Amino acid sequence: MTLTLQPIKVATGFDEDGMIVLDEKQRLVAVLVHLSDENEVAPGQWYLEAGFGRLDGINHPVFADLDAAQEWISQCLARGR
Amino acid sequence: MHASFPSQDNPLIRKLESIFTLTDDERQALQNLSMQLAVIKEDQDIVREGDRPSRSCLILSGFTATYKITAGGKRQIVTFGMAGDIPDLQSLHLKVLDISIGTLTQCRVGFITHDDLRNLCTRYPRITAAFWRETLIEGAIFREWVTNVGRREAYNRMAHMLCELLVRLRAVGLVEGYSCDLPITQGEFADALGITTVHVNRVLQQMRADGLIELKGDRLNIPDWEKLKQAGEFDPTYLHLEIDQAAA
Repeated sequence: MTLTLQPIKVATGFDEDGMIVLDEKQRLVAVLVHLSDENEVAPGQWYLEAGFGRLDGINHPVFADLDAAQEWISQCLARGR
Repeated sequence: MHASFPSQDNPLIRKLESIFTLTDDERQALQNLSMQLAVIKEDQDIVREGDRPSRSCLILSGFTATYKITAGGKRQIVTFGMAGDIPDLQSLHLKVLDISIGTLTQCRVGFITHDDLRNLCTRYPRITAAFWRETLIEGAIFREWVTNVGRREAYNRMAHMLCELLVRLRAVGLVEGYSCDLPITQGEFADALGITTVHVNRVLQQMRADGLIELKGDRLNIPDWEKLKQAGEFDPTYLHLEIDQAAA
């Protein structure tokens, strides 16, 4: 699955940038946030701030980088087919 | 073996007296209760779901978590245990445990056999009543947690949980002013509050910035109790404490 990422500012209350993640039909499937260095549990990692459809739920993992995040999202979406 | 602390320092007596008035005889009977003392390291299970224990576990010091695990391996902590609690007291009557209990920190515990508990309850019906009251209050705490986890925002949820912990710790003499040792990790709070560790960290940082809490290592200080209570919509009625000071 080809995902499209677009940078976006996310109002988490911290100085954090994020990415909106769109699927091949340009539907919003997830919002990822690059956690600030102030975060004490996963500084600098990517956090699944919100997921939609197949990604909606209580599972909000953190990823070392965007590649890992995209792979996880792709797998979740593929499982739903 | 008897626990070697004076009656006023016996955590079980302190705990029961925070919710029930004991006579001297009853206090003495509790003080004479035989228990097998043990020190259990942190992150160890004391009992597991499905166990059929023949004894219950009194916490003398340290913190435990009562929890359940989903098929997917996710842990929900349903309550924290602290000095004076017998988190598996129900196993005296419910033969199969439907929860697991693990240590969060190193704990000193006293195992009391069900036979001894039964004898105590037969000889002292008012102690039976005190244990009943204790388990009813535990039920009230669970109801409060369901409401808290299910319907409050993360910030208010955390505030409520910290208020409860402080009041319960104060009832057993483990609070100085508005400060206490609280060696509960952010991951453990996440499992108790039903949010992620990342979210717990954001909430704690926000609460620090708002002047609701101060954290230094494992030490929690609450500089503005009224503000924290307000944030947590905290009303200690459900803890049914008899000591006014504990409910302050």
